[in-house]
Amino acid sequence: MDRGKFSHGAMVAEFERGLARWTGARHAVGVNSGTDALVMLLRAAGLRPGDEVIVPAYSFIATATAVVHAGGVPVFADIEEHGHGIDPRSAAAALTPRTRMIMPVHLFDRLADMAGVGALARRHGLTVVEDSAEAIGMRQDGVHAGLLGAGGALSFFPSKTLGAIGDAGALLTDDDTVAERARELRHHGRSGRTLDDFPGISNPTVQAGCNSKMDDLQAAVLLAKLGRLDADIARRAELSARYDARLRDLPGVRAVPGGTPPHPGGGRVVYVHLIEVEHRDDLVAHLAAAGIGTETYYPVPLHLQPCFAHLGYAPGDFPRAEAACAAAVALPLYPDLTDAQADRVCDAIEEFYTRRPR
Amino acid sequence: MTAETVPFFPPDLFEADREALLEAVYTAGTAADQKFILGERTARLERELRARLGAADAVACSSGTSGLTLILAALDIGPGDEVVVPAFGCAPLASTVISRGARPVFADIDPAALTMDPAAAEELITPRTRALMPAHVFSVMADMPRFRTLADEHRLHLVEDSAVAQGGVLRGRPAGRWGDAGVFSFVQVKTFGMPGEGGMVVTDDTALAERVRMLRNHGQDGRNRFVHHTVGYNSRFDEAMAAFQLHRLDGLEDRLRRRAAIADYYSERFAPLSEAGITAPPAGGDGRCHYVYTLLAEERDELAAHLAAHGVHSHVYYPRALPAQPAFAGHAPPGARWPNAEDAARRNISIPLYAHLSDARVEHIADTVCSFTDREGRTR
Repeated sequence: MDRGKFSHGAMVAEFERGLARWTGARHAVGVNSGTDALVMLLRAAGLRPGDEVIVPAYSFIATATAVVHAGGVPVFADIEEHGHGIDPRSAAAALTPRTRMIMPVHLFDRLADMAGVGALARRHGLTVVEDSAEAIGMRQDGVHAGLLGAGGALSFFPSKTLGAIGDAGALLTDDDTVAERARELRHHGRSGRTLDDFPGISNPTVQAGCNSKMDDLQAAVLLAKLGRLDADIARRAELSARYDARLRDLPGVRAVPGGTPPHPGGGRVVYVHLIEVEHRDDLVAHLAAAGIGTETYYPVPLHLQPCFAHLGYAPGDFPRAEAACAAAVALPLYPDLTDAQADRVCDAIEEFYTRRPR
Repeated sequence: MTAETVPFFPPDLFEADREALLEAVYTAGTAADQKFILGERTARLERELRARLGAADAVACSSGTSGLTLILAALDIGPGDEVVVPAFGCAPLASTVISRGARPVFADIDPAALTMDPAAAEELITPRTRALMPAHVFSVMADMPRFRTLADEHRLHLVEDSAVAQGGVLRGRPAGRWGDAGVFSFVQVKTFGMPGEGGMVVTDDTALAERVRMLRNHGQDGRNRFVHHTVGYNSRFDEAMAAFQLHRLDGLEDRLRRRAAIADYYSERFAPLSEAGITAPPAGGDGRCHYVYTLLAEERDELAAHLAAHGVHSHVYYPRALPAQPAFAGHAPPGARWPNAEDAARRNISIPLYAHLSDARVEHIADTVCSFTDREGRTR
């Protein structure tokens, strides 16, 4: 940062190199947010206006709005019976002649069924792009999330496994063309070198791009945290196992992360410790009263969001996604959470379900 | 003459505020609420700018470009719509329109002001036109009174690309407040630049501001999380940068005055050079914003080389008109020409202008530009 370019500068370039090394990606492209990374990924991977992209009905909104911003149409599919990834069979039912891509999302603690998604994509000539916003550190047979298809998006939102102190994101890909297009798109569609190069702002504009440059301040924070990412991930796993041991057999708790094994070859990284419970909203209120914060990821499935009302979906279309939305609650999980704090969370949950008439 | 070089993009913009930046990062990073984005500091910065401008609302977002996109989205501009934009300027003038699925229609510019020519814009209005989007360029505000009239007469929206013009005032009305909405960019080189990416939408239309506020954070209303009323964007503002900008607000007026003084000095020195093929903007005057100081030079590349030989870095922002950019060629009607934009693209060259430029350096830059014309006289 002392070099005097405070965004899209030398620190961003250095972070990109570090991130590429850590993930094994041929290209890491630093941008302003995970959401922006998704939009640019879809465009760089060749989405054309009107193309349909199959996405899961259970995810953060950006999974679907990114498709819209890239000029496409999101088509929803249900999630697996166990776990929260897209169900390849439901995805198959969503195919139309306009389907061009499928975008699995790796939610919370494990990869989606990439073997199933890959088989479907090969059968129907679809491009696979990954919403790996939550998936840093998750690998399938040693290959990092985001590198199992044409490319993937990472989010460095502050609460993420690798979090900045503001908005930041990146795009991972092994594909030179996807990387080059994305590098152009993030800097107003300008060709050639612009990273760490001020005069490059006058390079020819070859695509209708956007401004999604990463701040060097965020890159500096991320680079520092990248050095302790393995330790952070290990601590998250420890805390998650601690929660699981206490909560897995508790009446009222229907599912804990450790209760569902990853797909074959897939490793776990617990970004979010999400449990599915009965009387979710009452539990959330009970915990809040005890000073314990939770997150409801996600209360409304994508196909029932007001912004997609025009797509014509109805309640009951994707029962597993809808059930997850009604039962899911994420518990506090971050590396500096103490064992005692985790135990206090478990005590409060236990109190809620044991005291409550069933 | 100074021996060291004078950079066009100065690396030491925030040297005097180093401690303040570290403090901003530390306080925003360690605050109890752990709200790193769109928190209390961002809200305070919005209130400060709103009050200074006398605007109804100010909405912080991730960049000036993104601010334009949010405004176009809030105005519901989309497929089938046309937006009249200048043929000379920065790529977002066209790309933000295209990102909405709408069509940019390029209007030629005024040959002296380099901003969109209202008469040229008027000729391009069709039944599909939804908005006019003039931009302030370098150090000159667009002819906003005429664009306001034109927009009102034709019942069009007026989107003001004031990304470069923070601090500019025309007929007593600040840049950003002439359009239905305007934007500011805070990228480091701007008049209220900061060490990161960010921007602000300003408007007197509170309903429009509410839509922009919703659109910048994934279509959420700020009350119910994870309920998305509209297809929104991620275009937010970081708390560390907001804290730093609140600190920097105090010196803004002084820095603007310093920029204006340097620009006026340049213009006084360069006024006689028009005979020799170098046209400078006039000194002072209403509707000026002193972001970038730009000359129009017949022998542009030779001037750049002459400046470089004397340690003065210059920059050509727009070497080609927007319709001549490969990305926008599809929106340029076959055979259409934009003579003034093309001429400006051929001749524009910008010289250093920033508040911490010393008097000695300013004189050296002016001397060097002037000596180019002497050299011309000698060598011909």
